[in-house]
Amino acid sequence: MKSLLIAMKDIKIQMKDRKQLVLMLLMPIVLTAILGTALKGVLDSGEAPKTVLGLYNTDKHNVTNGFIDSVLKSKDMKTSLELKIVTSEKQLKNYLKVEKIDAGLVIPEGWGNSLVAGKPAHALIYQGTGKGVNAAFIQQLTDTYTNAVQTVSGSTTFAVTNLAIRAKQSGVSFNPEESEQQISTAAEKSIGNKDYLKDAPVGNKSVSAMQYYAAAMAAMFLLFNAINGGKSFHNERGTETLARLMVTPTTSRAILGGKFLGTWFIALLQFLVFMIVTHYVLVVDWGSNVWQTLVLALIYSFAVAGLSMVVAAFTKSERAADAIGGVGVQIFAILGGSMIPITSFPEVLRSLSKVTPNSWALTGFVDIMGGTTTWNSLILPVFVLAGIGLCAAAIGVWRLRVEY
Amino acid sequence: MLKVENIKKSYQLHEVVKGVSLEIAQGEAFGLLGPNGAGKSTMISMICGLVPYDSGEIQVAGLSVKKQPMDVKRKIGLVPQDIALYPTMSALDNLVFWGKMYGLKGQDAKSRAVEVLKMVGLVDRGNEPIQTFSGGMKRRINIGAALMHGPELLIMDEPTVGIDPQSRNHILETVKTLNEAGMTIIYTSHYMEEVEYLCDRIAIIDHGEVIASGTTQELGAGLAGGTVLRMEVDQYTADFLKQVELLNGVEQVTAESNKQLNILLKEDKETMTEIVHLSVEHNIKIHEFKREEANLESLFLKLTGRTLRD
Repeated sequence: MKSLLIAMKDIKIQMKDRKQLVLMLLMPIVLTAILGTALKGVLDSGEAPKTVLGLYNTDKHNVTNGFIDSVLKSKDMKTSLELKIVTSEKQLKNYLKVEKIDAGLVIPEGWGNSLVAGKPAHALIYQGTGKGVNAAFIQQLTDTYTNAVQTVSGSTTFAVTNLAIRAKQSGVSFNPEESEQQISTAAEKSIGNKDYLKDAPVGNKSVSAMQYYAAAMAAMFLLFNAINGGKSFHNERGTETLARLMVTPTTSRAILGGKFLGTWFIALLQFLVFMIVTHYVLVVDWGSNVWQTLVLALIYSFAVAGLSMVVAAFTKSERAADAIGGVGVQIFAILGGSMIPITSFPEVLRSLSKVTPNSWALTGFVDIMGGTTTWNSLILPVFVLAGIGLCAAAIGVWRLRVEY
Repeated sequence: MLKVENIKKSYQLHEVVKGVSLEIAQGEAFGLLGPNGAGKSTMISMICGLVPYDSGEIQVAGLSVKKQPMDVKRKIGLVPQDIALYPTMSALDNLVFWGKMYGLKGQDAKSRAVEVLKMVGLVDRGNEPIQTFSGGMKRRINIGAALMHGPELLIMDEPTVGIDPQSRNHILETVKTLNEAGMTIIYTSHYMEEVEYLCDRIAIIDHGEVIASGTTQELGAGLAGGTVLRMEVDQYTADFLKQVELLNGVEQVTAESNKQLNILLKEDKETMTEIVHLSVEHNIKIHEFKREEANLESLFLKLTGRTLRD
């Protein structure tokens, strides 16, 4: 209860600080508009991010070979797909673990046969961490090929059966093998346009530049709350209000909890305002599942509040918090993809970006915007961000309680 | 109301409070005097439960500060030396917030805040942010925040520093009224006249020890007939100082600076003439030569070797 009082007081103070309001609300909106517009040509090219696919194939059927040769290894796929053949499912999983590949495809024995017979055929797709878009791309490729083969197979069977009945009725001689071959070829021609891959860039319900930078700016500017939270603590100490709080019948745990909650609520509030304004003013589509976005924002704000405790504990003054926190936010922002998309980073930086909470938040928001996120795939970023928040808060609170 | 028994506190190897004992009765107004760094603030912090003491015991209304800190905190109102308020929030919001931190709920907190605003004479400014207030008005709200929960013991740490005479008078009158209504007060100040006006008893602390305590009359009795001579010269010499100290009528010489001397006299008329002669002999120009009757300030000077504002 006392923690809530302190948190509400902090929100009230923050709301009255016009300079802060401009920095925390207006700046990210303006930057989103500028970056989203300026980099539209670069990011909105319609191409899917290049996917490194690990393939483990145990099926020798012609249809399966056709999928590999004419789709996965096709010329058209060269710019968006790199194929790595693996010798076992275990090797494929290892490659995913060490991030040698973005997604994995396992074609089980009998897959081709099932397709031709019009039976359900399932290839197994593995998704690398944070590679939802790439996995969806492979899923779409596989589904499209599966549908095409099953359509040809089904229509051929239907046509041959009908022709056989009619030939029998009219007494005309009929060679089923030859007819099946002819119908099948014609059907393949009619639907087998290789360009279907280009026209419907699979898995690439890729986000627009405006969407990307809305997520990027949200992730970056929410981080500033870690500095503000730390500064607010130093401000209370400098003006003796902290001492006064400690003279009231309030435990130090409740006071620190209040400061934590205050930062958490303010960050969340900032996100909500930002999301609503960018949606209505900049027409940013935050994805079809708003609840997923809100859950991620809630947990990311929690991580930011935890970091504010670290800033408070490891700096000695508002000025120090500003300076050190400012540098930290800049580094996190660059490394976490808020300036340049993470997909453009070399592999080492991509791996390194995973230490930043904003990278997890940004990737999560973008995946939700792209419509490729399931609740299950949200579990990892949610756990990582909650972990960062908890660890940071624990370290900060421990140090602050030792100090006071 | 307050019982302090042989309290000790050290920071690393430096002992800042060396076995202080005090007893303050319910409804009493008690003055705590001491030069800067004497240990007053540490004492106050220990009484409020902000700083733990190494040994001894402090009890407020029979409750141990160490064993029942939350119960003790409910009985105390602290007016800190600095303005411990939120400047962008209104006076009313500040008071309501501090009231709630002491357990007051919604409407009760609001009504009490209005009551307190009346008490400190700022009811018409309640909705204005603290940052628009004058220094004196801020100090009055600073006191108001400590009164929100109706404490039994009000501790005021130099509540009138740097304010206009009107606000100062208002504060003194408010404190007097609260004390007359039965509230126990501990008051520290650099202004001796405030302490003399408000307090029944006084303790002087220096170097972490109580060096004198009693009523103003009891303490004044030790200085009966004494006089303080304040001299401002262009620059005195060590030899001059030594010779002044050797004069029969001089009890103590304190140098405030290399130009300012405070001389406590046992007997004044002849001694003053001797001091003037010594100044002429040592070729020291006198810019100011002021004789004052002994009072609590001179007692403080005598006991600590420093003035209250040091």
